[in-house]
Amino acid sequence: MSLQSPTIQRVKLRNKPSRTADKVFFGVARAAGYSSIVIVVAILFFLSIRAWPAFEQQGILDFTFGSGWDTTTTPPTLHIGAMLWGSFLIAGIGVAFAIPMAISIAYFIEFLAPKSIAKTATVIIDLLAAIPSVVIGLWGLGVFSPTGAGWAQMINQSLGFIPIFQNESGTFLRSPFIAGIVIAVMIVPIIASITREIFSQMDKEVINGAMALGGTRESILRKVILPTSAGGILGGILLALGRAMGETVAIFFVLNLSYDEVNWLNILEPQGGAIASLILSKFGEATNDEISALLAAGVVLFIFTLIINAVASYIVAKAQPWRKA
Amino acid sequence: MSITPVQRPGKAAPWLNLGPRVRISSLLASTLPALISVGVLIALQADFMAVLITFFLPLQLLAGALAGFFSYGRKGIMDGLLLVTTFFFASFVLVLLVSVIWSVVQSGFAALSPQFIFQNNRYITGKTGLEIGGVGHAILGSVSIVGLTTLVAVPLGVFTAVYLTETRDGARGLIRTLLQAMSGLPSVVAGLFIYSMLIVSGFTTRVGIAGSLALIPLMLPTIARVAEEALRLVPVELRNGALALGAPSYKAFFMVTLPAAQSGIITAVLLGVARVIGETAPLILTTLIANETNVNLFEGGMATLPTYIYNYISLGDQTSLQRAWGAALVLLLFVGVLFLLARVVAGGGVKRSRKKKEK
Repeated sequence: MSLQSPTIQRVKLRNKPSRTADKVFFGVARAAGYSSIVIVVAILFFLSIRAWPAFEQQGILDFTFGSGWDTTTTPPTLHIGAMLWGSFLIAGIGVAFAIPMAISIAYFIEFLAPKSIAKTATVIIDLLAAIPSVVIGLWGLGVFSPTGAGWAQMINQSLGFIPIFQNESGTFLRSPFIAGIVIAVMIVPIIASITREIFSQMDKEVINGAMALGGTRESILRKVILPTSAGGILGGILLALGRAMGETVAIFFVLNLSYDEVNWLNILEPQGGAIASLILSKFGEATNDEISALLAAGVVLFIFTLIINAVASYIVAKAQPWRKA
Repeated sequence: MSITPVQRPGKAAPWLNLGPRVRISSLLASTLPALISVGVLIALQADFMAVLITFFLPLQLLAGALAGFFSYGRKGIMDGLLLVTTFFFASFVLVLLVSVIWSVVQSGFAALSPQFIFQNNRYITGKTGLEIGGVGHAILGSVSIVGLTTLVAVPLGVFTAVYLTETRDGARGLIRTLLQAMSGLPSVVAGLFIYSMLIVSGFTTRVGIAGSLALIPLMLPTIARVAEEALRLVPVELRNGALALGAPSYKAFFMVTLPAAQSGIITAVLLGVARVIGETAPLILTTLIANETNVNLFEGGMATLPTYIYNYISLGDQTSLQRAWGAALVLLLFVGVLFLLARVVAGGGVKRSRKKKEK
């Protein structure tokens, strides 16, 4: 009896899909993936061509860094320098307020609180991130503004000799200071959740080692935790800065926009600027020239947030090499 | 004879055995400054914030440093200061958050009533009393605009995630970067984009569908990112097992990978909806606000909850502000329910997979 060797059907191994259904499946996936390229290109393209008349009429540099918004002259003066600086100023104030709060709460959740409290606090922080900006704006207008004005007055009375805390208008409402704190409420959760994630992924052995060597809470935080996580925290802060720059409605309700003059650092004066709020406030009864200028303002805003976000995600990725895709 | 593993004694944590000196000093440090400050507050009738900052905080810092010193010697001083500052800032965040939610709940409840939820706003001005009119039309508008966005963005986002996880295509890095960029897109720019593309060009006027389209670039990155994480958590062995059994890739995905990642995908959708349901600026730019019920996305204006709030804040009268608070409460309830659902779904998924592992 002889063994009959079975005939093996040879199948060619391919690294490309062979069946039609698979081709369709991967084709759809690829199309969906490429759709984000299409969207980003379309955003840049359509905004730019509609904004071009304004750039051409005003000059790109004048438009971006000059000041003044006047439609009565011919050609109208439509410059957003004051708004651009205002955006940075408010975002800066917001970030300055948010950093200590966010790092404290992340440190509290990761290293101090018992597990159950830490879990609840994490949920609360995530929930705070989910509150819509228009609700924060309503809160800022109806609840916080009077309180914040009180704080501003206190600062002005006690520290008024420092130039940036001076106030000549007599009212403390609708200032960059208040808008900055309202923004801080919105970006604390962003920084806090990124910081917490980075803290939680730290090597616990290193911390235990430092403790065994006789380190105290403070020295461990200063010499072990912060140096290892500084990059990630910085990235989180920049992400938050990008979000703060693009924030529209919340600022719109609590800030007095002044188009003609750049409010460099007088953070308690009731005049400030924010590009996104400018777009919202001028959009309703805008002339054709203004519409083009507002679209151009959108382009400038988009480019600045794009740069900030790119730097931020680069830093975050660098700081978390274990998250490599 | 069997060897029983040595049980760790219950009290084998000497560092938790605090001496009486530590206990007493930390107890005193955590109560005395607050008590003294309350006393000063009552005695002087001073402003709360002023006492808090100029009196309580320095006192509490001093007390923390002293308690640290008595407990652990010189190196304890900085520890005490660190704890006091951490608790101060953390509770400051908590106070702000509670203030936001409490004010919405308190002022919102005053406006809330059955007709506030079901009626629309025809014949309502800023001064009309709260007995008639409501946010019914805005709820319907939000649901239909966000619903259409979801219908488009969910398949797009999930398939983008498929593209990022299941293929080895060269453009994945670029697309990931672009999704990152899109997630940082200011919402007002998304509105301007649709405005410049469709409305200035005259393809359409400011109707519901323009608003839906404007929300897509805001929703897509959230869904794609969370869905990608979910798909990546599916073990490679599962996928390869299905492929080794001879399943074509699409069947392996739809019958093995997708069910395994189900809870993650649902979380992605819920978080995406929660992300855009409160967006105001793009809808103001692309959709006219109406006072009447309208669910036709292609014709006429449409109110949504966020634009309703915006509109009534802008009117500025007392009753219109009350309406805004009421609508804010409704919106916050929507967001909260979506958010909690997402947590429950995600948590349930984790628990289930952990149980499977234990088996």
